[in-house]
Amino acid sequence: MRQNSTLIATQRAPAYSNTALAALVEENRVHRDVYLDPALFELEMERIWGKAWIYVGHESQVKNPGDYLSTTIGREPVLMVRDNRGEVNVIYNRCGHKGAKVVAKPCGSATMFRCPYHGWTFHLDGKLNATPHKCGYDDTDFDPEDPQFSMQKVARVESYRGFVFASLSAQGEDLKTFMGATLETIDNMVDRSPQSEVEVVGTCLPYFHDCNWKMFFENLNDAQHPMVCHASVGVATRRVVKQLPQGAAVPKEVEIIYPFGSSYEFFDELGVSVMARGHSFMGGRQSIHSAYAEIPGYMDSMIAAHGRERTEQVLGSNRHNTAIYPSFTIKDAVQIIRVVRPVAVDKTLIQTWHFRLKGAPEEMLHRTITYSRLINSPASMVGPDDWDCYARMQESLHSDSAEWVDMRRYIGREQSEGGITRASGTSDLSMRNQYRAWSDYMTQGQQ
Amino acid sequence: MTATTAVNSAAGNTADIAAIERFLYRETDLLDSNDLDSWMALFTEDGTYWMPVAPDQQDPHGHISILFENRAVMAVRAANFGHRLAASMEYPVRCSHLIGNVRLLALDASSGDCTVRSNFQAVLYYREQRLFAGTYTHKLQRVADGYRIEQKRVDIINCDANHKSILTYI
Repeated sequence: MRQNSTLIATQRAPAYSNTALAALVEENRVHRDVYLDPALFELEMERIWGKAWIYVGHESQVKNPGDYLSTTIGREPVLMVRDNRGEVNVIYNRCGHKGAKVVAKPCGSATMFRCPYHGWTFHLDGKLNATPHKCGYDDTDFDPEDPQFSMQKVARVESYRGFVFASLSAQGEDLKTFMGATLETIDNMVDRSPQSEVEVVGTCLPYFHDCNWKMFFENLNDAQHPMVCHASVGVATRRVVKQLPQGAAVPKEVEIIYPFGSSYEFFDELGVSVMARGHSFMGGRQSIHSAYAEIPGYMDSMIAAHGRERTEQVLGSNRHNTAIYPSFTIKDAVQIIRVVRPVAVDKTLIQTWHFRLKGAPEEMLHRTITYSRLINSPASMVGPDDWDCYARMQESLHSDSAEWVDMRRYIGREQSEGGITRASGTSDLSMRNQYRAWSDYMTQGQQ
Repeated sequence: MTATTAVNSAAGNTADIAAIERFLYRETDLLDSNDLDSWMALFTEDGTYWMPVAPDQQDPHGHISILFENRAVMAVRAANFGHRLAASMEYPVRCSHLIGNVRLLALDASSGDCTVRSNFQAVLYYREQRLFAGTYTHKLQRVADGYRIEQKRVDIINCDANHKSILTYI
């Protein structure tokens, strides 16, 4: 908790006792209020989004001193900015004077930040530079060194292979401990570059959802939905392929769409793996991405850089979504991340960012882009069906005919080893695991 | 754009703007009536529909777009449109387009192929009513019975806004 909000936080009576919070999550179901109650959303912003490591951005987005990216952590406006020493800072996008948002652009470059209201200026690390006509502060106790007059730094910032995360809380475990086995997914994505480096390409693809942020997150490793929710696009694609003239080339988009219609058995076989703090991933050696055609030149560039054995090892890992609770999901095999930005109890912004594997043929990026348009775009034939089902839940969970949301599929049939618990792919395991973490965060370990 | 504007002033008189306008009206009329099969038949075999996500976006391949679809994906979309298995398709999609300020950007006097820009407003009713506005840039191929679309580029003025689902071509 930051210094200057402690006063308010201690004065505000919590809407839920820890006992009441713990009662919202049972072993095999959760209470609908976790999706519906604005008071719980406020508590989540404080106790989950104010504590956990939240993804901010990638270092390649702020290559040079002065480069900045504007985003949010929970509902806190922040800037990721590289300073003149080359350090990546994450600072609150709030003027230390009257509290105005200093930077409105989503990204850009600056030598200094200047509040457009009264002209206070700030260094790239957020520290106050100057206040105009400063004689007005003579003979007052105004102290330019006092952090309250700066654009304050968030409590903790760490980066792993260029992926920058921040925590608003001064206390807590380090980023690597927080990430656990999900680090391997980030490693895998970066190691798919012949130069072992990735960079963000261009602007993001935003998609505004009329649902609670957790619905999006639960869907990431919900393998019970693709063959139902995305059946139509599979059927439509098969119909188009069937009508192709004999010998005509099958469009490259087909290999991306088809696996979404895979069977229950296929997804069960992939398996879902979960770990502490709500993280999870599907697949391993196989996934919905493992049957993609080889892009000419890519294998050669990888073998030249890393050798055949290492290349086969890297490309032999094909996880589906690796979900790093609560803010981030990554597809290592497709070089895409999606970032969760909760807006209100029933409003969530999802941003998709795309990565270039440095040193790989540009066609690899083209496939990343094609995948995202076909699957993640608000105008795709996949995302809108998910969107609609989230909106339907958000709407009908208000029904007083029932209070609980079921999560018991395949319960009791998990296997645990070395901190990772695994179950058949269409299990609700990843959701149950997310709510264990939710409960821990929300009750602050004091239930 | 400087070069094409020059072509416009030099050769603008030789293009049949009225015929081009009729073609554009027909195209958006097919969208307004959700007749995606007939609509996609207006495109050349290698024709594309492009809605960039960034203003002045140059590259549809190496940068994400909201939409960039070839005839194969258009065919999938036509087959998926209104599909009984799609949750998103259980709601009506109704659209009303207005096109104006049609102007010729470039004309190949020998083939009759041309690039045409127009302004549009499209009111889309899907779950809620939404307004899209911007410019169309049509690359048109002259054929015996009129025109075929090589590319329709749709620059909505809020291309980089946080959009909800967009269920059809605009």
